[in-house]
Amino acid sequence: MPDMSLFFDLGVVGLRIILPLYAIVIVYQCYAAMRRRRRPEKPLVSLYNTRTGGMLPVVFWENSIGRSRSSDIVVSDPSVSRNHCVLLRRKAGWFITDVGSLSGTFVNGVKVTGRAQVLIDDIITIGTTNYQFRRGDDFQSPLRSSWFFSKVSDKPAIKAWKLMLMVTLFHFFMAAEAMFWNDGTNVYSPLILFFALAAVEWGFFSVSYFALRRVNFELEALGLFLTGVGVMLLVRQVERSAYVQLIAAGIGIAIYCAIIKFIEDPDKVNKLRLPLMIAAVVMLSASIVLGKVTNGAANWVYIGSISFQPSEFVKTIFIFIGASALDTLQTKKNLIELIVFSVVCVGLLALMGDFGTALIFFVTFLLIAFMRSGDFKTIILAVAAAVFGVIIVLWYKPYVANRFSAWRHVWEHAQDTGGYQQVRVLTYTAAGGLFGVGIGNGYFKQYFASESDLVFALCAEEMGVIVAIVLALSVALLMIYARAITTRCRSTFYSISACCAAGLLVVQLSLNIFGATDILPLTGVTFPFVSCGGSSVISCWGLLAFIKAADERTYSLKR
Amino acid sequence: MKRVLRRSTLVLILTIAFIAGIGYFTAELIMNSRDWVAQPYNAHISGSGGLEQAGRILDRNGKVLAQTENGVRLYNEDERVRRALLHTVGDNSLNISTAVQSKYRSMLTGYSLVWGLNMPQSLRVSHDITLTVDADVCAAAYDVLNSYGKKGACVVYNYKTGEVICSVSTYGYDPQAPPEINESNESEYDGVYLDNVISSSYTPGSIFKLVTAAAAIENIPDLYERTWYCEGSEEIGGSDITCVESHGEIDFKLAMAKSCNIVFAELAVELGAEKMTETAKKMGINMSFEFDDVQTAMGYFDVSKADRNQLAWSGIGQYSDKVNPMQMAIICGAIANGGTGIAPSYIKDGTGDLLSLIGIKGNKKYDLVAPATAQKLDEVMRYTITDYYGDDLFGGLSVCAKTGTAEVGEEKLPNAWMVGYAKDADCPLAFACVVEDSGFGFEYAGPVAETAMIKAAEKLRGRM
Repeated sequence: MPDMSLFFDLGVVGLRIILPLYAIVIVYQCYAAMRRRRRPEKPLVSLYNTRTGGMLPVVFWENSIGRSRSSDIVVSDPSVSRNHCVLLRRKAGWFITDVGSLSGTFVNGVKVTGRAQVLIDDIITIGTTNYQFRRGDDFQSPLRSSWFFSKVSDKPAIKAWKLMLMVTLFHFFMAAEAMFWNDGTNVYSPLILFFALAAVEWGFFSVSYFALRRVNFELEALGLFLTGVGVMLLVRQVERSAYVQLIAAGIGIAIYCAIIKFIEDPDKVNKLRLPLMIAAVVMLSASIVLGKVTNGAANWVYIGSISFQPSEFVKTIFIFIGASALDTLQTKKNLIELIVFSVVCVGLLALMGDFGTALIFFVTFLLIAFMRSGDFKTIILAVAAAVFGVIIVLWYKPYVANRFSAWRHVWEHAQDTGGYQQVRVLTYTAAGGLFGVGIGNGYFKQYFASESDLVFALCAEEMGVIVAIVLALSVALLMIYARAITTRCRSTFYSISACCAAGLLVVQLSLNIFGATDILPLTGVTFPFVSCGGSSVISCWGLLAFIKAADERTYSLKR
Repeated sequence: MKRVLRRSTLVLILTIAFIAGIGYFTAELIMNSRDWVAQPYNAHISGSGGLEQAGRILDRNGKVLAQTENGVRLYNEDERVRRALLHTVGDNSLNISTAVQSKYRSMLTGYSLVWGLNMPQSLRVSHDITLTVDADVCAAAYDVLNSYGKKGACVVYNYKTGEVICSVSTYGYDPQAPPEINESNESEYDGVYLDNVISSSYTPGSIFKLVTAAAAIENIPDLYERTWYCEGSEEIGGSDITCVESHGEIDFKLAMAKSCNIVFAELAVELGAEKMTETAKKMGINMSFEFDDVQTAMGYFDVSKADRNQLAWSGIGQYSDKVNPMQMAIICGAIANGGTGIAPSYIKDGTGDLLSLIGIKGNKKYDLVAPATAQKLDEVMRYTITDYYGDDLFGGLSVCAKTGTAEVGEEKLPNAWMVGYAKDADCPLAFACVVEDSGFGFEYAGPVAETAMIKAAEKLRGRM
């Protein structure tokens, strides 16, 4: 009988080479799909200046009107305040809100208090200028569109089901590779896991396609792709965790759908801020009181046999609290409420010893604060306060610094806790080469936290550094997407929450990857979607919901 | 909305910073992946060592030092060669971290960043590495060094090309049958995983007078007109500095040849801490020399807290002074070369180092001595040999050298040192040899250096 080992070897090596290229294609297709199938850029309504006869296009769902050059609609009239009023579109029609102007805003001669509805042909008086409210079609000149979106005439995006098929096939390849590296008794377990994963993926797809009748699925496909990679990586490590992770992903997807439904009306959510803030503080306090110290941080709560990290869920609430609609943003300018809430959250996390999450919250706070106020002074002040706080902590608790003393010197600490994990991350990342040693064939999986905080190395060793970097970039690119759709959101509530959710994911990703590879100090946070950890994957899907909600089609278009 | 878009730039900057970070990591990965992979805990290459598929290691004449046959790593058939080259070649383990089989394990086993480790056996390509050392020279030098049963090291390298011809270190063992080191035999194998040529530093004793002499040549204009009177002992700074014998009236050149402690102690005090430190720094005493991805152990010269007496002792290589054998060979090479030291290399061919392939990375050069000073040091070092020992000693080679006998404390005998170089154009070799816990430099280090130099010269000349 001829020697078949060369044949098998070639097959497995072939698969290993295909996977990274295939991962690139999938991520490319997801983003290509996000760029396509948009409505053409044209005004929603327009404003006709009754005196000059000029026509102003109204292109956003929420528009600030004022003398300030950064207003969405600039009225150069000395009697108009810098930020005069906000014109916004809701389900019930168009509304105008005065945001504390000196001279007031009038609709058909009646002074606006609170939100006043505006109908076609109504006369809006701002300062001494009168505008007639007209349909969007009345404005004819073409408008500029963001570079991110392809032209309407370009070929349509890949069909959602085809994209899903590609994602599923990728996971199947992973299963096939894992089957090759077996111990004789568990040949088919990756295949069984794969079928369970495929069932979740296609179940979600069916719900989205048939029940919710969503027009697009690329964001979900990307989330499923990342989640699935995380699940399949576990099959040759702790198989049970793979199923726990899959169940958590299912819960995460359910929460994803629930959040999207929950924040459908950007005005109603405002009322829920206070209860949610209290819930967040209660949850964080609970983990201090009930939490058990695990790996230096008391951030786990155990209820019966189920354990979870409340701080993960608070991330979603944090984003929610931070965002609001444009008229609220312009009337209620002070950040005191947000600052107090952030200080409490960051403080509680620091008390738990979870410095990684505390840092994520702090940076996210900076992002939210800046997105809301545009005020650099606040940012600088906050950073200064934080630096001061850190110095005080180090003054009174110098041992905290010891945790980070090995930073940039990990090779000198290869055998002590300072650098033990990082040097192994580097070694096994390099050992995998560009294409990895095969799923289940690595050794890094034996190390503690290899499936969670250090998953970058697990992925790089077994699937190659290309896949690991592609996964990382695919998460980072969410930010580019969130920014591209910023002005096309139905409310600043969505634009701010989407950008900050994406920002939070990027910060978390940076701490995860750069912490593990000794570019930053190791703090122990998870790789979004991929790391094993139920709470983490649920919170990632929760954050993804904000980005999905920012897409105007999510609510306004049905298939 | 426009404002929100503009403010979101902050988040965009964060993302760009992240992507830049990934770029930085990728660059680090490309530069360092070989070092990262070659770690003792790396399960892909530890245990059986990954050597069952590794390439061969050859000496400069193509003699096989290590190879794999039927999945078993075999070292040279001559046990003398195996022991002599233990620290250069390494063994199956990764214990000797500066050895070729440790440093280039990943490469020997066919590692590349593209394919990683653990390519299926049937598809793996492994590589041979050719070293610059000569197995016979090493074996001969090792025999002499090992006959003392002490820790020590001897290195001979070509100061023009940087090629290391001979490098041996004791204690050692046979890599074909590595010992189990336990409590009962650990004293016998104390420090056995260190290559003393590269990774150890020792009290230099009189060989440090090269530094004091260099400082004196550069800073004392009438140095050659002066004479001193040596009574065998002299009080400096409250305590006595002692000399091996009473040299009587003596000038600088003779003081070097006879290695008079009194003269050099006085010179050190006259020069002062600042000038001594400056010269020691320039000659590379307080630094590591880099070559082949390793660094030599640092020497040590610090007289910032020394009193007058201690400063005097520091000038004759005592006090807290330390030097490393490879470092001394490089410094001697620099003197021979008119002041420029060439970094050594053990690798002749085969590491496929990206930088050396595209020609960026030649042997590093170090300016250690001013050319005029080098010329004068050369004269006195040459005089030391011709006046005292004669050229027969090194088989007719025109050798310049300095011996040293360094006191290290009451429980141990002195470190015996001999460092120097041959001036011959066809044998541009510098050497350094140290034997711990032995006795007079010439008596113990001398024979090892002599054997190594004569053998190396024979081999070099034989090939031409």
